[in-house]
Amino acid sequence: MKKFKRILTYVFLSVAAIISIYPFFWMVVSSTNASVDVTRGRQLPGTHLIENLTNLFDQVNIVTALSNSFIIAILSTFFTLLTASLAGYGFEMFRSKWKDRTFNLLLLSMMIPFASIMVPLYRLFGRITPTAPLIGIDSLTAAFLPTVTTAFFIFFFRQNTKMFAKDLIEAGRIDGLSELGIFFRIYMPTMKTTYAAAAIIAFMNSWNNFLWPLVILQSPSQQTMPLLISNLGSSYAPDFGMIMSAITISTIPTAVVFFVMQKHFVAGMMGSVKG
Amino acid sequence: MKKLWMMLFAVLMVVTLAACGNGEDEGDETGADDPTEGDIEEAPEGDEDDITAWAWDPNFNIRALELADDAYDGDADVELEIIENAQDDIVQRLNTSLSSGAMQGMPNIVLIEDYRAQSFLQAYPDAFYPITDYINVDDFADYKIEPTSLDGEQYGLPFDSGVAGLYIRTDYLEEAGYSVEDVQDITWSEYVEIGKDIKEATGNNMLTQDPGDLGLIRIMLQSAGSWYFEDDGSTPNLDNNPALEATAEAYREIMEADIVSMVSDWSQFVGAFNDGAVASVPTGNWITASVTAEESQSGDWAVVPMPKLEVDGATNYSNLGGSSWYVLNSDGKEKAAEFLGNTFGSNEAFYQDLIEEIGAIGTYLPGLQGDAFEMEHEFFGGQQIIADFSEWTDNIPAVNYGMHTYAIDDIMAVELQEYLNDKPLEDVLNDAQSQAETQLR
Repeated sequence: MKKFKRILTYVFLSVAAIISIYPFFWMVVSSTNASVDVTRGRQLPGTHLIENLTNLFDQVNIVTALSNSFIIAILSTFFTLLTASLAGYGFEMFRSKWKDRTFNLLLLSMMIPFASIMVPLYRLFGRITPTAPLIGIDSLTAAFLPTVTTAFFIFFFRQNTKMFAKDLIEAGRIDGLSELGIFFRIYMPTMKTTYAAAAIIAFMNSWNNFLWPLVILQSPSQQTMPLLISNLGSSYAPDFGMIMSAITISTIPTAVVFFVMQKHFVAGMMGSVKG
Repeated sequence: MKKLWMMLFAVLMVVTLAACGNGEDEGDETGADDPTEGDIEEAPEGDEDDITAWAWDPNFNIRALELADDAYDGDADVELEIIENAQDDIVQRLNTSLSSGAMQGMPNIVLIEDYRAQSFLQAYPDAFYPITDYINVDDFADYKIEPTSLDGEQYGLPFDSGVAGLYIRTDYLEEAGYSVEDVQDITWSEYVEIGKDIKEATGNNMLTQDPGDLGLIRIMLQSAGSWYFEDDGSTPNLDNNPALEATAEAYREIMEADIVSMVSDWSQFVGAFNDGAVASVPTGNWITASVTAEESQSGDWAVVPMPKLEVDGATNYSNLGGSSWYVLNSDGKEKAAEFLGNTFGSNEAFYQDLIEEIGAIGTYLPGLQGDAFEMEHEFFGGQQIIADFSEWTDNIPAVNYGMHTYAIDDIMAVELQEYLNDKPLEDVLNDAQSQAETQLR
């Protein structure tokens, strides 16, 4: 009976694994095939990888798009972690009558779909642009500013902070550390796993973000990877092999980030559930 | 401690309010400069001679812009910058920018699909610059004018013809005992019969259909001079519309004849005919590039006029897709309009280049002749497909696409499936009509 259960578990897990891995498999295989073979659904690796890559590098400026995506994702992740962890820490550690009410209000903001605030937001950036072009329309900064602090990340850090031993703070105070000093020298190093988990989510969100960068970034020199891929598919006779190789390239960074931080990610997520 | 926080908060509020106040002032100033502009802010001034254009297909309309740039012989200082954007992305960007009134980064010239044109022209009345004075409207195919103009002003410069044709495999036809002459100017019922014979002889289906894409329905409707809307472009015209009834019946006849390969996206659609799995492709002429991509099928294809409906006013000519150039009402609009007028609006030789270089069939009638049009295509067994397509372009019935073609498409996609599941046609169209009326009110 026990053996049977085990077999069943493995069969189920194998099926689940195949279902989740198959799209990746097909993506990689397709990037080595000619467009005609991709539309035919060919499942075997082909010989067109070099040709697809050459076409890709000839037709579009993928290096610019990659570096734009990296700049945006890295800056966005950095500022997200900084602001959200400060806020989450503050909400959990300091006492105030208004704390929980403010926090609930903040959580409510998670329910507003981005599409509904996009037009006012765009208008706002339109107003800023003449005085501060560096953070205005068509600047990389504008592509991540609106998503730097989200209620989700503040919530995430607050939940995880619940597990943080408050004694450490007391100890820090006795030793004469300032409040910010406590945050940077005691809290941050102890919460490494939480930061890692948040970093993965923030990086992926930013890397895959499409709608806002689409409207705010207009010139080709500011293009990010998702925008570039969207453009590739726009012609009347798309080159699917080339598109697949672009998508494969664009998946690599998120995969690397995930695998490097995977251990911390699981630990961080567990923490937030337990809290 | 608490006091300190309160003070900090107060300071923050003051700073934010002050910042907002500044923004308002600036906004008002720009508004006061030019009352006709309303709230729309001017784009930042770049180089005055630069104009930018957005289009979506590097092998087609972007290439056309490049050719136009070469052919341009007016004000020599104009520098054209062409930016590639996916069509859906252009729609999203235009909508966001025009509805927020912030015009920074918007292009001077933009390509918009004809089905969507009226929704832009009517929703943002001051956003586009009329080009009536820069072109001669009578020079363009009649059916392109209706969707690209509003209240007597011409806003769009008609570009490519979406003239539809029936791409058909001649080798499959022969196997089933037919010749190309047998499929010229037929009806949809005859098409279905031939399809059955081909399936029997070759085992291949006649065509593909994607239940979510009503291109075929739109082709059929326009071929009979009808559309989803009354002539005003906003009153849904779904029940008591004989052309739509005939369309639905023809569609059902095709779907029930067991000659259709079902597909769910574009790549499967292209894959089916590249693979030889279907004998015909009823669609717009822009598919030529995808058909000819499978070189092993060279000589096995022909293009004939669309089959027609059995209803009053039915023709063998129709259109699918097609788009036009628009000038945004911002700095540089005169230059942009002059550029379009000088190239797409009047240069006959340029239209020859369009044919020779990219196979793009325009809708500028004086440009629809010449050597390029006589070219014989080996892939199509020596047929002069460009000449044929241009001739058909002239016969396409003009209809008003209105503001909500794609919204009605969504309604009809669901209702037509009900019809295939034996819901009576009258109920299907009645329900579609009432849904359309509620949704578009």
